[in-house]
Amino acid sequence: MTAPATRSGTAGLLVPLLVGGVVAVVLGVYGSVHQPTGVAVNIAGFSSGQSVKAWLASVVVLLAVVQLISALAMYGKLGGEAPSWVSPLHRWSGRLAFLVSIPVAMHCLYALGFQSFDTRVLVHSLLGCFFYGIFVCKMLLLRRDDTAPWVLPVVGGLAFTVLVGLWLSAALWFFTTFGVIF
Amino acid sequence: MKHPGPLFTLLAGVVLAAGIGIANAATGTTATSGSAGAASTSAPPPPPTSSAPPPPASIAKPNPVPPRADYAGRVDGGGASVAVSVRDGHAIAYVCDGKKVEAWLGGVTTDGRLDLKDGKGGTLVGGYDPATVTGTVTAGGKTWHFTAPTAKKPAGLYRATPKVRGKAAKVGWIVQSDGSQVGILTTEDTSTDAPALDPAAGSATVDGAPVTAESITGLSGDGDF
Repeated sequence: MTAPATRSGTAGLLVPLLVGGVVAVVLGVYGSVHQPTGVAVNIAGFSSGQSVKAWLASVVVLLAVVQLISALAMYGKLGGEAPSWVSPLHRWSGRLAFLVSIPVAMHCLYALGFQSFDTRVLVHSLLGCFFYGIFVCKMLLLRRDDTAPWVLPVVGGLAFTVLVGLWLSAALWFFTTFGVIF
Repeated sequence: MKHPGPLFTLLAGVVLAAGIGIANAATGTTATSGSAGAASTSAPPPPPTSSAPPPPASIAKPNPVPPRADYAGRVDGGGASVAVSVRDGHAIAYVCDGKKVEAWLGGVTTDGRLDLKDGKGGTLVGGYDPATVTGTVTAGGKTWHFTAPTAKKPAGLYRATPKVRGKAAKVGWIVQSDGSQVGILTTEDTSTDAPALDPAAGSATVDGAPVTAESITGLSGDGDF
């Protein structure tokens, strides 16, 4: 007997959740044990690594809003059937957002590390590790057709929420502390 | 394989991250971030045994460690200034936000590593090479990361011990290479913005009286190391 063709909708969750969990923990451990360098590769034209990050992160959040709206449309929550271009829009804005977030996360991990010296920084460090865990989980879940219908919206919603939390705890803090500078 | 798209997305992210990582490593920002340094920050270093060979990580260091050097710069984000002076195995550092938070830190240096303390809970952990000092400093309950370039007089670290209303006070200044300066005047009960220092003349006016500021530099050996 092979495994039954229709498995319970949550069984397929296990592996993506585990892999995502491992990613989050590995990021956190690396951020903790790696001696922060204080600097990393910068992009020309910006005053500091932090301002680059704040702007890139803002781009990511903007794309994440596109993600949220296009996802709502795909699930028919905006009324009627979504036009055919919505799915590609969701896919590609998500890919772009992920790629734009990488330099930000690399600067965090490489130059600053996992820190806990105040609440904002601790929350940001935890959310940052969690975000890439939940993102990897979501990517792996997308490849399965046997998950329960609520799984993707929940995982995607978590990714969105965490990302906004990341932006609030760093980029918004940066802009309000140092002003909207490039 | 069903739906390979998400895997390519993840793969692209990994490739990009690896590329940035290589770029970071190649630009020399790892000079002070060897694994030996990572181990020494979290736990107190084990008592050194005189016969022990130097840690292998030091071999990988691309830059020699200067025996004497002065650095001045700002913390990441610009919230405070940091100056570090190194001379023959000893280091003095001063961190100051120009308003309230300041700390004078001191200690010995080992193989380009700094582990400085002020005896009041402030710490500075980091490393230096001929071009920069980088690390993490904690003072007055705040923690900053910093990278500071070398400083050449008149840029650098200054201190003075004037009398304010008859009582002993202490002033620290950091003069940046661009000429800007911050400082804090600490009396028995308060810390305030320090009066302007004339770095060329090495003097300032505190509480209506002229005060001589002492330059602290590892290069020329001024200051008590």
